[in-house]
Amino acid sequence: MTLWLVLALMTFAAIFAVLWPLSRQATQGPEADAGADVAVYRDQLDEIERDRRASRLAPAEAEAARAEVARRLLTAAGAVPTTSNQPASAWRRRAVMIAALIALPVGAVGFYLAIGSPLIPGEPLAARNGGPTDKRPITALVAEVERHLASKPDDARGWEVLAPVYMRMGRFDDAVKARRNVLRIEGATAARETDLGEALVAAADGVVTAEAKASFDRGLALDGKEARARYFLGLAAEQDGRREDAEKLWQALLAEAPADARWKTLVEQSLARVRQPEGAGPSAKDVAAAEQLSPDQRNAMIQGMVARLAERLEKDGGDVDDWLKLIRAYGVLGDSDKAKASLVSARKALAADADKLRRVDDLAKTLQLSE
Amino acid sequence: MTRKKRRLVLIACSVGVVALAAGLILNALRDSIVFFHSPTEIVAKHLAPGSRARLGGLVKEGSIVRSDKLDVRFEVTDGNETVPVTYHGILPDLFREGQGVIAEGALDNAGHFKADSVLAKHDEKYMPKEVADALKKQGHWKDDYDKKVGSTGGQVQ
Amino acid sequence: MIPEIGHYALVLALALAVIQIVVPAWGVRTHDAVLIGVAEATAPAQFLFVALAFAALTACYVASDFSVLNVFENSHSAKPLLYKITGVWGNHEGSMLLWVLILAFFGALVSVFGRNLPRSLKALVLSVQASIAAAFYLFILITSNPFTRLIPAPFEGRDLNPVLQDLGLAIHPPLLYLGYVGFSISFSFAIAALIEGRTDAAWARWVRPWTLAAWCALTLGIAMGSYWAYYELGWGGWWFWDPVENASLMPWLAGTALLHSAVVMERREALKVWTILLAILTFSLSLLGTFLVRSGVLTSVHAFATDPTRGVFILAILAFFIGGALCLYAWRAPVLKQGGVFAPISREGALILNNLFLTAACATVFVGTLYPLALEAVSGAKISVGAPFFELTFGPLLVPLLFAMPFGPLLAWKRGDIAGVAQRLLVAFGVGLLAIAATVAGEGGGPILAPFGVGLAVFIMAGALTDIAERTALLRTTLKASLSRAGGLPRSAWGTALAHFAVGVTLLGMVGETQWGAEAIANMKPGETISLRHYDFTYEGIDAGEGPNYRELAAKFAIKRNGATIATARPAKRVFQARQATTTEAALITRGVNQIYISLGDVQPDGAIAVRIYHKPLVLLIWLGAVLMMLGGTLSLSDRRLRIGAPKPSRSRLSPQPAE
Repeated sequence: MTLWLVLALMTFAAIFAVLWPLSRQATQGPEADAGADVAVYRDQLDEIERDRRASRLAPAEAEAARAEVARRLLTAAGAVPTTSNQPASAWRRRAVMIAALIALPVGAVGFYLAIGSPLIPGEPLAARNGGPTDKRPITALVAEVERHLASKPDDARGWEVLAPVYMRMGRFDDAVKARRNVLRIEGATAARETDLGEALVAAADGVVTAEAKASFDRGLALDGKEARARYFLGLAAEQDGRREDAEKLWQALLAEAPADARWKTLVEQSLARVRQPEGAGPSAKDVAAAEQLSPDQRNAMIQGMVARLAERLEKDGGDVDDWLKLIRAYGVLGDSDKAKASLVSARKALAADADKLRRVDDLAKTLQLSE
Repeated sequence: MTRKKRRLVLIACSVGVVALAAGLILNALRDSIVFFHSPTEIVAKHLAPGSRARLGGLVKEGSIVRSDKLDVRFEVTDGNETVPVTYHGILPDLFREGQGVIAEGALDNAGHFKADSVLAKHDEKYMPKEVADALKKQGHWKDDYDKKVGSTGGQVQ
Repeated sequence: MIPEIGHYALVLALALAVIQIVVPAWGVRTHDAVLIGVAEATAPAQFLFVALAFAALTACYVASDFSVLNVFENSHSAKPLLYKITGVWGNHEGSMLLWVLILAFFGALVSVFGRNLPRSLKALVLSVQASIAAAFYLFILITSNPFTRLIPAPFEGRDLNPVLQDLGLAIHPPLLYLGYVGFSISFSFAIAALIEGRTDAAWARWVRPWTLAAWCALTLGIAMGSYWAYYELGWGGWWFWDPVENASLMPWLAGTALLHSAVVMERREALKVWTILLAILTFSLSLLGTFLVRSGVLTSVHAFATDPTRGVFILAILAFFIGGALCLYAWRAPVLKQGGVFAPISREGALILNNLFLTAACATVFVGTLYPLALEAVSGAKISVGAPFFELTFGPLLVPLLFAMPFGPLLAWKRGDIAGVAQRLLVAFGVGLLAIAATVAGEGGGPILAPFGVGLAVFIMAGALTDIAERTALLRTTLKASLSRAGGLPRSAWGTALAHFAVGVTLLGMVGETQWGAEAIANMKPGETISLRHYDFTYEGIDAGEGPNYRELAAKFAIKRNGATIATARPAKRVFQARQATTTEAALITRGVNQIYISLGDVQPDGAIAVRIYHKPLVLLIWLGAVLMMLGGTLSLSDRRLRIGAPKPSRSRLSPQPAE
């Protein structure tokens, strides 16, 4: 409603801009027109006179210039005025009035309605953040909390609220930051350390990094019964290749687990996984075990293996075969971005050896990673 | 001096300056313009060694080899042919594998393109027009290059 | 609501422009004083509505209203307020809105301050101005509407290209546009004169302040753009003969010619037809520049608009206004009466020479810029016309122009005495020769062109001083008398001398930079030192830092001269994560008017870093000269005679004139 009122006012203003001059009588007649030229020439004469007096101009030159300007002055003063002093003819004025009163608003409104979108309200950020919470998208709420935290970074509750949301949104790095902030402000507890560790694992694509492991260790030191920390430490042991340790940790965890613990199945599956005999790469049994898992779990397992390989290669380097394995794995997983990234890393790592480089390039060609 | 003579002098002056300008332009156009070629054209036309040209295409993935003396070798490709390029100096910020590039220089006798200047594309929205055209002609145009910004999922009113 | 208000305001501005095209012209035709007066109210109203539209868009940027497509594409809620505002014109749609805002602003200025103009001339000028405005309002509303809405509104915007988040680049386009669009007034005056079939010395006086104001803005705009490219792009160059740079240089050259020919017309009523043509050409070149930049036809670092419909639309506008104006010119120019006569050797003759060379130089730039496009359209062959072309064409044409420059102001009107002038310039010439000798002695076997360039520059500067000395009769009379004469000199005389002096300053800078500039490129390991021009540069190491939205690798260099450390330089490379863009932040160390310029290349695998070091002697003079030129123009603009509300005859006759 306000919009229409404002648009109407604007239209009136525009019409007024046309009607106002029409309502005035012609105040300046032909003298004004001729006067404009005359003023310039008089000024030029004055200037010639000033120059002559200051002897910037020789008398003869000044005389010639004066004669020339005077001639122009006479012409200008004698020129037939182009505008007449008589009042405008009524019909012309009326025609313009009609144009201003009808054609202008109709044309403007018509054109505007054709291209504008008057029904869409403006949505400045501030207004969008003020509405009822349940109607606003989660991203808006997150952004609002973020803004609040930007000004009050020591509000632990805010960070605590944000962290799980970040995890769900897949913004793991932000989750890590939020967990760290909670720790910083509120001090360490077993749960908080474990939360941080979990976020770190998520941020590392499921790999229990040294940093995450340290976090779980700290958590466990604070509370030896922290089940999640113990599970992840087991996972760390598995990823490090210390299967017996993993088995021991998880067995102990299962033994102490309350009967209704929902995480029991997860631990049992993990336990089953580490009890498979060890082989180079996924053995037949591994594959069989993988087949029994749900597609999601299977994917997670493969991803985890690939991620570990990638981490090892990035950190410690490796031979051409490992690199080829990694690139091929990403290729099979259909993750061409990562495949390309590891291709680049491989080239960098193997730059010294043309022969190995060629092998990497050949693989890249087969997988159609280049081009 | 009569009016006519004065006018003649003026006209003569004007014609003189215009002729001078035209002469300079024609002379410069003969000597100092540089043709643009894609790798396919360079190979197909057997560009004479030593004649200046601009070479445009994509930097072939994995083809960049640097030495510690600021010498760089890389290959420029348009999908069909590749031309090896050598360059001495600092490459622009946006020079990357797989990205559009224009090198200016000349072929040497070994068929290497010796560049004395290398331009990379300016930002992710911009690609040298010649490169884009040449790639389009070769059918290696990536459509997402000029993907319309409007396709954001939102409905444009 | 706010975006829709802005949108509607733009539509209303269009409607008012249409009325402003028709009604005043009709009034002039029917000698109806009331209809003629309509433009005086609609022009300011039009400006207010465009200003409202611009303010609305700015408000949307400030409030991060991402329901406006344009805001979503070019802003981000976390961007600093300054860059939110400059982001308004950091994109195609917004910059076109700025364009019409300035156009409407000039129209309003003519309407409000043009009280000294004959009303019919003013009405026609405003009518022509409105037709240009209407064409561009339509262009904006139809092809480049900044108020297009987006539903649902995205939560976050896409941010502005980091390269564009720079203060220099933020100020540069408005200045350029003030220049480009300012020339539209001269254009409108020329068309009005052709329609009326009458021009005289008074016309030239009325048109000159507008041309001068536009020229000043354009001069500063070009200089700023050049300096921005110099420090931001990291290549150490200050002029690349890039088509976009050429697009701003062409109207500048034509506008400079126009300024000078308008002087002749004002004083002698000569060169009428030529001046009108120049006024048309200058604005046509501005339009051409807008077309080249905005249609994306160029291979250029600036082309951030690529959409053929826009190009075709602007091309149509271009064809209509340039074609129409030239047709009108061909038809009506013979009607104009020729004015005063003069000998070839005279102030008029010198100014014609100036015009000839400036337009010829402008033509070479024109050919160099458009020939590649034309050739590609005709034969499909792609060529690039770079610096060598312009050095071979533009350069030789400028040399005679520059050499003749000191002579012009000293020659008398109508019939000059070249021998007398040469005599008076003897001192300046001697100083120039001295400068050549000194340069040869000082440099000993340096570049051959350098001494002559320095000599020419010094000659120009000394010539400008001679001009002032002559006018104040310095040394010929007592110092007191000279001072009083200096006080009585019109400001335009000072302005001319200053601007001409400034040309010498710029030339000196260009010669210094191009002839004596030195460059070293090397891979440096920490602790290594290289020498360039009496300076030793030690690379001390690199540290990483973080900015608000980028990561930074900054290298530290100690610069020594004769063993004493004179400065520490920190060139850097920045990586903007959001857009994965890298920028090079060159380090500039200013020593007087010289600069040392260090820019970084890649960090090598072995920890060494590629470094490019330039020593650029006198380089700051290039921009200092441009600023002085602009100041000269401004000084001239402040001259009472050109002041926009020129004196009413009664006042100038009755009240005693204060000494100026």
